[in-house]
Amino acid sequence: MPKLKIEDLDKISQKVRKTTLLREGAGRAKITVHMGTCGIAAGARGIMNALLDEFDKKNIEDVILTSSGCAGLCSREPMATIELKDEAPVKYVDLTPEKIREILAEHVIGGKVISKYALAKGSERVS
Amino acid sequence: MEEKIANKYRLHLMLCAGTACVSNKSFKIKEILEEELKKQGLDKEALVVMTGCNGFCAVGPVMTVMPDGIFYHTLTEDMIPHLVEEHFLKGRPVKKLMFTPPREEVVIPKMMDIGFFSRQTLIALRNRGLIDPEVIDEYIARDGYKALAKALSEMTPKEIITEIKNSGLRGRGGAGFPTGLKWELCSKSKGNPKYIICNADEGDPGAYMDRSIVEADPHSVLEGMMIGARAIGANEGYVYIRAEYPLAMKRLEIAIDQAKEYGLIGENIFDTDFSFDIHVKQGAGAFVCGEETALIASIEGRPPEPRQRPPFPAQSGLWGKPTNINNVETWATVPEIINKGAKWFASIGTELSKGTKVFSLVGKINNTGLVEVPMGITLKEIIYDIGGGIPGGKRFKAIQTGGPSGGCIPARLIDLPVDFEKLTEAGSIMGSGGLIVMDEDTCVVDVSKYFIEFTNDESCGKCASCRDGSAVLLELLKKICRGDGKEADLQALEELSNAIKDGSMCGLGQTLPNPVLSTLKYFIDEYLEHVKYKRCSALVCKGIISSACQHICPLSQDAPCYIGLIAQGKFEEAIKVVRKENPLPLICGRVCHAPCEDKCVAGEWGDPVGIRSLKRFLADYEMKHGIVTEEKPKEQREEQIAVIGSGPGGLTCAYYLALEGYKVTVFESQPKAGGMLAVGIPEFRLPKDVLDYEIDRIRKLGVEIKTKTTIGKDIPLEKLKEEYKAIFIAIGAHKGLKMKIPGEDSEGVIDAVEFLRDVNLGRDVKIGDKVIVVGGGNSAIDAARVAKRLGKDTKIFYRRTKAEMPAIKSEIEEAIFEGIDIQFLAVPTKVLSSNGRIEAVECINMELGDVDASGRRRPVPITGSEFNVEVDTLILAISQEPDVSPLTNGFGLNISKWSTIEVDPETLLTNVEGIFAGGDAVTGPNTVTEAMAHGKTAAQMIDKYIRGEKLGRKYEVTRPALHVEPVELSEEEVKSLKRPEMPSTPVAQRIENFEEVELGFTEADAITEAKRCLRCDLEKEEEEEEVIEEKVAIEEKVEEKPEEKEEVPVAVEAEPEKKEVEEEKPEEKVEEPAVAEKVEEKKAEVAIEEKVEEKPEEPAVEAAAPEPKEAPEEKEIKPAIEIPEMKEVKPAEVKKEEEKVEPAAPEPKEEPEEKKIKAAIEIPEMKEFKPAVEIPAMKKEEEEKPAEVKAEEKKEEEEKPEEKRIKAVVEIPDMKKEEEVKPTEEKVEEKEEAAKPEEEIEEKKEEGKVEAAAPEKKKIKAVIDIPEMKKKE
Repeated sequence: MPKLKIEDLDKISQKVRKTTLLREGAGRAKITVHMGTCGIAAGARGIMNALLDEFDKKNIEDVILTSSGCAGLCSREPMATIELKDEAPVKYVDLTPEKIREILAEHVIGGKVISKYALAKGSERVS
Repeated sequence: MEEKIANKYRLHLMLCAGTACVSNKSFKIKEILEEELKKQGLDKEALVVMTGCNGFCAVGPVMTVMPDGIFYHTLTEDMIPHLVEEHFLKGRPVKKLMFTPPREEVVIPKMMDIGFFSRQTLIALRNRGLIDPEVIDEYIARDGYKALAKALSEMTPKEIITEIKNSGLRGRGGAGFPTGLKWELCSKSKGNPKYIICNADEGDPGAYMDRSIVEADPHSVLEGMMIGARAIGANEGYVYIRAEYPLAMKRLEIAIDQAKEYGLIGENIFDTDFSFDIHVKQGAGAFVCGEETALIASIEGRPPEPRQRPPFPAQSGLWGKPTNINNVETWATVPEIINKGAKWFASIGTELSKGTKVFSLVGKINNTGLVEVPMGITLKEIIYDIGGGIPGGKRFKAIQTGGPSGGCIPARLIDLPVDFEKLTEAGSIMGSGGLIVMDEDTCVVDVSKYFIEFTNDESCGKCASCRDGSAVLLELLKKICRGDGKEADLQALEELSNAIKDGSMCGLGQTLPNPVLSTLKYFIDEYLEHVKYKRCSALVCKGIISSACQHICPLSQDAPCYIGLIAQGKFEEAIKVVRKENPLPLICGRVCHAPCEDKCVAGEWGDPVGIRSLKRFLADYEMKHGIVTEEKPKEQREEQIAVIGSGPGGLTCAYYLALEGYKVTVFESQPKAGGMLAVGIPEFRLPKDVLDYEIDRIRKLGVEIKTKTTIGKDIPLEKLKEEYKAIFIAIGAHKGLKMKIPGEDSEGVIDAVEFLRDVNLGRDVKIGDKVIVVGGGNSAIDAARVAKRLGKDTKIFYRRTKAEMPAIKSEIEEAIFEGIDIQFLAVPTKVLSSNGRIEAVECINMELGDVDASGRRRPVPITGSEFNVEVDTLILAISQEPDVSPLTNGFGLNISKWSTIEVDPETLLTNVEGIFAGGDAVTGPNTVTEAMAHGKTAAQMIDKYIRGEKLGRKYEVTRPALHVEPVELSEEEVKSLKRPEMPSTPVAQRIENFEEVELGFTEADAITEAKRCLRCDLEKEEEEEEVIEEKVAIEEKVEEKPEEKEEVPVAVEAEPEKKEVEEEKPEEKVEEPAVAEKVEEKKAEVAIEEKVEEKPEEPAVEAAAPEPKEAPEEKEIKPAIEIPEMKEVKPAEVKKEEEKVEPAAPEPKEEPEEKKIKAAIEIPEMKEFKPAVEIPAMKKEEEEKPAEVKAEEKKEEEEKPEEKRIKAVVEIPDMKKEEEVKPTEEKVEEKEEAAKPEEEIEEKKEEGKVEAAAPEKKKIKAVIDIPEMKKKE
């Protein structure tokens, strides 16, 4: 490794930035894939993989991707909840990898809710 | 490291790899985590990151799951598969692994919502838990080395110094010297090269800030050092780190290697003219190396001894060159200041102490760990908000800041803001940041001893004042903890401490007396308690307490002995042991509040031994089998004594006076004898036949009890005074107090005491169907349980929570069990009536507000939460006071404004000659056993008074009455033992009648339970362990006596401490005449071995040698029981004893054997010490001739009335909290209130219970004129 120059610090920092962002729990948006038994059976894994793949391809760094358990509406799995900063969460149902790619582009990046896939706005409160 | 970062993960599992978590197997957990992730196909999605110390060491190993921030703690290997599947695969965070704050029930999933984390401000620890300390890129990603780049490229050295100066940063190593100024001095200093040193030689017990920083973020330290090097013009640096920190060292070395690889350490860093090289130097763990000149000496390869300053290291340091030393935390803070600016840093903290400070929070605290907080935060916030309070809901007592060099800050200063100045004002120091929390079970004398032991060990030995002074301090403290201390020792401690401060060269010596001085300042009463009253209320000093249960018992009941005998099945012998100190075991076995069980050592990790139940078993056994313990008056005496009141205090006094041979008449105004035992405690807790049995025993001794006779009404007190030689007033506190709320005079509002009295006396009692009892003491619970048995719908209203209820815990449980609804945090504010008859009460809900100094949260009314409850009968059980009206008619008895009788607490004598008083009449509502203790003392005082002797008590260390062999238990037995369930009447049956609820243990139960006793009384004294080596030496020298048992050397062990203060021997004889007596008369008495051990060498060796410990127990027990009451040795006898013993302790050096022992245990420093430093107090003591000592001792006994008063407080330990006879819900808090008048008034207004506070205040008042006691309150 050659000796670092001052500007190299920023390069290294950029490269590792996502790591630290993730750890700081800060993000512009959060995608929760519901991965209860029902979700997994219905193909939630494929949704998660599609997202991971898109993240990699599009170099998305400021979106938190996480999983949670069954959302209670097992018949409509796979489901995902999209939460943009300062906006109410939106639940999408009956997802396919294609749909989630679309949602990622339109909603998460573009900021426009795709109503036809959405179940409802809002989310039950967890006390 | 490249690969790790290149991958994209959706989850980062931040697993702590600090030393504490690593010790709890966090590396093993990492392995299993990765394995499981792979199994579930998640290894590409979740990355396990090993971080530095997260700080919450108490619950390690800990892991934070990012980005969600879910915090898991106390992880074990077997939980991992479940965790991985549930959370990481299925997205269901696992609740049972989440954190629940102590004493709360709701889990907190997220790290930042946990008080421990949310209240911290991280500067030095900014990267902890967020980066992998072994990956430099992660440090760089968090702005690492940016500050260095800025310092090198944009700032001149002068500007760097100015920035640091402006920030107000002060040295975090302890002294708090301004860092910028230090740098400036060094930069201006002539000499080349210059050096930078990082002091990572962290040595305070319980402190690990430096280790944690180096482990979690080593680069921050390196970066800070380089910025400092640039500022002062140095190109070489040293990190001096303890060899005991292997993980820190490894990470430091990795960090250095990686920085070198990046060219961040080396030539022309960032292509500037700045070059830097660094060395790691391992320290061998000597505490003194934390001192900068000693540290430099150690780096240079010389012995680590401090040297005189100036010259300061800034002028002449390492290799004689200008050197700048700063602590790890200071270095780690520097880059943030350069990055964010001086202004930002200076905006945090207080006027003179800027920024944050890292503390290691340890001791008696729930959330042990490492915390970084802004300067100026209060101790209260640290202890309660971050630390989560004291484990087990115990009382916070003090906090030691600054480690062994710091001081002990008492609970009453809990609102103290933490900064350099404030801590110094309080007599402590900031130090490097150790915070040791102490609770009520910590003895401050013991704590001082601990720290002095440490510094004495760690003294480098260069200065005599430090080396020998600390040794003498330690001896004095050991002596006090052993129970051999004198008041003069306290003065000696103080004078010697000041001498050490003045006479020592470096910080170690100058600060080592701080723990002693600060505890003397804030806890002088606790020292006095040790030296004068032979008490250790924290129940720590084994030499004084023997066993906690015996020491805390107001009657000094020898629980370990009788429990030991029960375990052997020797019930008859056991009851004799009980009877010796307790004339009412049937009663105490049922209704005592049993402070012994609260402090039982077995209770620390399971159920305490059921001491009260065992006593009851014995008493029941005695009654059932008609065992007659021959108690006979010693002689027949003509003097008549009157006792007014036949409660536990009066009965006990009458019993002991009758044993002395006096003619005692007890006057009782009620139709039944027994006082509160008869009219206060309901039948189902204390059957009347049981009470009558005990009273009959006392009658049989010749005591006459006249019921239905009220003194002052039926017979004037004056007349009694004429007829009787002495009078003991123990009329109790039978007058219930009002709540002072509107409408309280309505029909249907009654007083609990009257209610219970009427029911107990079989009178016709009419109460309504809906009953509310107000209060939280035993009266409230009793009244409610009685009402329930009368078939009423019964509720209790109490304004605090269950945890604060002063009633006996098991009684509260029984009440709930019986179906009584207890409404906590609710209090009536108004009685609503129609036609003068109660119909309902208006109540208000309370919430617990801020914690006070004792750590209890105050109840505050919730505005708007008023509600009405329909009720027919409201029973007030708030508090009581004595009804002294009949006694005050024209007779000059001093009555306090709280209606209690004023007495001299030492002698219980009232202001009228020949009239003594005790029990609740003096203390206000208190416990059965406290009243009995008063009765016992009064009997002794009255006896002395009649014999014309000087009144006064004798104070002795607690000792078992006899030696009882422990029963041997197999491993299996030990595992299977558990507290047998107390047989009791079924609820359905019991609420129908007044039959006794608890039925008592069976013989088998009793034996099982007795076997659980840990027999603390047999524990060797702490000091003994320290002298084991000496013991070995002695054993070798004393080869002439090969047949000697183990005990002999043990007995001899007491010598080393004794030796320096040989002249005290005669004094000790005076204090423990009983022992001397035994030594003389019953050399074979093995039971008193422990005592003998402490005696001067001659008698000890003699006594211990001939008789092996294994002597048959039968033999031991009999003499022990027949030996006349220890405490009752008359002064005349004492003198005789002295004479007898004195020749036995001649110049011991003449004995050849003695000489050898001496040689073996001679401490060389001690010899040198005497000529080296002249400490007046010590010298005085050592020069005293035995005769003088005797004279002085006598004087001591005769004078100092003010100390006698303290005794009253000492004698009444914490038991007030759980009174037996007439408890009051307000009791505990009132005590606090009395000490805080402003708050008191406020609270009274709210609650309208001015009088309720009265009896307690009285107690406080008795001591208020003694400055030391005030501090305690």
